[in-house]
Amino acid sequence: MNQKEPLLQREGAKSVLASLLSIAIGLAFGALAILVVGLASRDLGAGSAWEGIRLIFGGLFSTGRGASGALTWGFNGQNIGNMLFRAMPLIMTGLSVAMAYKTGLFNIGAPGQYLMGTLASLAIALGIPSGALPKPLIWLLAFCGAILAGAIWGAIPGALKAFLNINEVIACIMTNWIAANFVTWMFSISNFKNVVENTKSSYIYKTTYGLVDGKYVSGAGIATSKMGLDKVFPGSQINGGILIAILFAIGVYVMMEKTTFGYELKACGSNRHAARYAGISDRRNIVLSMVIAGGLSAAGAGLYCLSGNTEFFWSTYQSLPAIGFNGIPVALLAVCNPIGVIFTAIFMSMLSISGLQLTNLTAYNEYITDVIIAVIVYLSAFSLVIKMWLGRRKDKVGAVDANAEPLVPKSEPKTVSEAKGGDEA
Amino acid sequence: MAALDNSQDYVIEMLHITKEFPGIKANDDITLQLRRGEIHALLGENGAGKSTLMSVLFGLYQPEQGEIRKNGERVLINNPNDATALGIGMVHQHFKLVEVFTVLDNIILGAETTGALGFLKKAEARKKVQALSEKYGLKVDLDAKVEDITVGMQQRVEILKMLYRDNEILIFDEPTAVLTPQEIEELMATMKEFAREGKSILFISHKLNEIMAVADRVSVLRKGKYVGTVNTADTNKQELSNMMVGRPVQLVVTKDDARPGEDVLRVEHFSVPSHVHKRNAVNDVSFTVRAGEIVCIAGIDGNGQTELVYGLSGMDKSNGGSVTLCGEDITHYSIHRRGGNMSHIPEDRHKHGLVLDFTLEQNLVLQRFREPQFQHAGFIDEGAVRGYAQRLIEQYDVRSGQGPVTKARSMSGGNQQKAIIAREVDRDKPLIIAVQPTRGLDVGAIEYIHSQLVAERDRGKAILLVSLELDEVMSLSDRILVMYEGEIVGELDPKKTNVQELGLYMAGAKREGKEALA
Repeated sequence: MNQKEPLLQREGAKSVLASLLSIAIGLAFGALAILVVGLASRDLGAGSAWEGIRLIFGGLFSTGRGASGALTWGFNGQNIGNMLFRAMPLIMTGLSVAMAYKTGLFNIGAPGQYLMGTLASLAIALGIPSGALPKPLIWLLAFCGAILAGAIWGAIPGALKAFLNINEVIACIMTNWIAANFVTWMFSISNFKNVVENTKSSYIYKTTYGLVDGKYVSGAGIATSKMGLDKVFPGSQINGGILIAILFAIGVYVMMEKTTFGYELKACGSNRHAARYAGISDRRNIVLSMVIAGGLSAAGAGLYCLSGNTEFFWSTYQSLPAIGFNGIPVALLAVCNPIGVIFTAIFMSMLSISGLQLTNLTAYNEYITDVIIAVIVYLSAFSLVIKMWLGRRKDKVGAVDANAEPLVPKSEPKTVSEAKGGDEA
Repeated sequence: MAALDNSQDYVIEMLHITKEFPGIKANDDITLQLRRGEIHALLGENGAGKSTLMSVLFGLYQPEQGEIRKNGERVLINNPNDATALGIGMVHQHFKLVEVFTVLDNIILGAETTGALGFLKKAEARKKVQALSEKYGLKVDLDAKVEDITVGMQQRVEILKMLYRDNEILIFDEPTAVLTPQEIEELMATMKEFAREGKSILFISHKLNEIMAVADRVSVLRKGKYVGTVNTADTNKQELSNMMVGRPVQLVVTKDDARPGEDVLRVEHFSVPSHVHKRNAVNDVSFTVRAGEIVCIAGIDGNGQTELVYGLSGMDKSNGGSVTLCGEDITHYSIHRRGGNMSHIPEDRHKHGLVLDFTLEQNLVLQRFREPQFQHAGFIDEGAVRGYAQRLIEQYDVRSGQGPVTKARSMSGGNQQKAIIAREVDRDKPLIIAVQPTRGLDVGAIEYIHSQLVAERDRGKAILLVSLELDEVMSLSDRILVMYEGEIVGELDPKKTNVQELGLYMAGAKREGKEALA
């Protein structure tokens, strides 16, 4: 778009505006919920409600309560660092969903791919005896192993879709549960189960534990380099993984927008028939798209597990990791733009930090932020509708050509229910 | 500007309608007056504003200026329900039917008669529809699902929908684009029958033959402006097309005799299986196309032409015979490899020809983006793509709102087709397969595309044309092969045959020995 278009009429600006609008409505709804709960509750009241509302919007910059009992505000490195740490795997699962979506596939299999990445990264990190290889190499092997495992896991629904025309949503849901049970089984017969800290059951060693003479010793293992970020955000969990995640986002953006490969993927995504007609192998691209999406999800798991300060509850056969599913709202809110995913993932993490602050500082509990997130998730599916609505109001460029396709937004990527896309072939 | 008389004869008047979209006046002070019981044709090129005007009448758009009158009284039409209440019905170019519903369900949908508790009174509806169907000879199978019936029957369902709602003003938006010659004749007869009964018909078309055959008066639009209204009795095709395009148009293709060279495409005993039935859609077909000639596959839609092209281009697998292109056996090549010597203007420009959500420039390199000139180490050279697109746009006069970055979806049908022609012709391959390249286009665009194909022929290309339009077949081709039920039943010389004989072959009433073809 090198034409001199007013800013607000640009496709991108409209997308951003639509997403911001969803967020604003979600936050407003959250504020309303806090107000209602506050006024209705005996323990709370208008004063607490006002505190709660301020924490929802600015929890990131809350520094606790002062001597007078009033909320204090300022730069809170721990909050910001933790926010970025939580955003790290979300960026990856968000990228996974966004990238598949642009290829016309709805990757609801991110949780399963994430679990496979968890299994592979932990098994490699904990399986190689301490000192057998240099620590950075072990880290790299574990990270790449995670990507590979996720890629293979993503390839299954991809191949089913490409060769047997089985809807990828169904295949993904099934592979998710297969992964959950498989991972549980693998860990339950492994010797990675944490037996040192006896207060915990069903947890796997952190990767900071290393295998020394057949025993796991704290500090002998590996952890992602902090890259100095712990100095900037003292007291937080942050490490260099966030930078890796951002690099991945930029990489996916470049791949989708600048390369012939991305062009092929998008052509298959928006019109499989035309892609075939043009000699592009649609089957190959569907499989590859799911392979990459799976790899991205699993890379998120790798980054999270290899941080060294996270523990994995291995008995997952009853529930799938929320980080995987949260990739969907992250991607939708970003209108599937890889760069946008960075920001929406950080935003989602900010909400959960705000929720923690709410729990710590007021009588509210953090679940109120789940309500906000839920509203935003609903609205993010609508953000495309909002975008269209903005489009109708702000410009009617689409209708310039009187004989063009009707204004009915066939082209707009659809809401979640329709998002399976492109399998009517 | 037509004189506005206050005659009560006008059932619908659209006076000084102006409808603007940012940057363009789709309708600029247009006046259209429809008499009771007449067939009034609305003629104009793609993008002239016909559809916008009809959308205004049907309540889909609100005009900025002007008013609509019915029987002399001003009416407001805010949505299609208002239009229906005023007795205005429309058969859209792309039918608005629920594919998985039966014909009867589709007809009554939205106008259901119900009993006391809201139960459908289908038996009553069925009687009414049957009566209408018999009265006008509109044969439909009321219990068939719409997805299973032919396009022609789907159109009859749409017409019955209007009749069921007792509409007296009937709008037909390019109704013949999808019909076979026989079906077109039936439709014309039906339209005339309606007019005799006092129904008024607005007939949108850019096919001059049909307008001359059926319409009483013609209003012509050009680039959003009203050009004039004439009686068909007082005009002729040439005058109408000049009015429509704004310059003298060549209605007949001028070309020299072909000077065919060597065989470019040789098809031997070629068969392609059908997706619908167990027989082959294309059965044991053999023919050749030589350099410097246009060979046309004629036939009624659905006789295997589509499958033949799918088989030749590699989009479908063949199950017998061989295809030789430029001396190379390509029977088992991938689509991509076949593309090395073959350009293909596909039948369905929205399904195959374009990625509608891509920009024009992205569409123009749909097959070529991997070529070294457009990419370096896998990274697309955006500058090169832009430059190439600009050259094609200029050279082939592809018009669009924002040039290379226009979304293909927002372009008019004619320009979409031009973009495909530009892309395929510019690939400069020895064989061009063109399937209904002028379908749904106006005379200006048809003239252009025909001249392009003839120019390519004269440059020594072999051209395989598949067409359903008899005029096109007769005027453009150097040799005609007629396909009937998956087989080639005759080879004709357009100079020595006529439309009647061609029609007999197409209908399967006449065929010659196959040995004469190879």
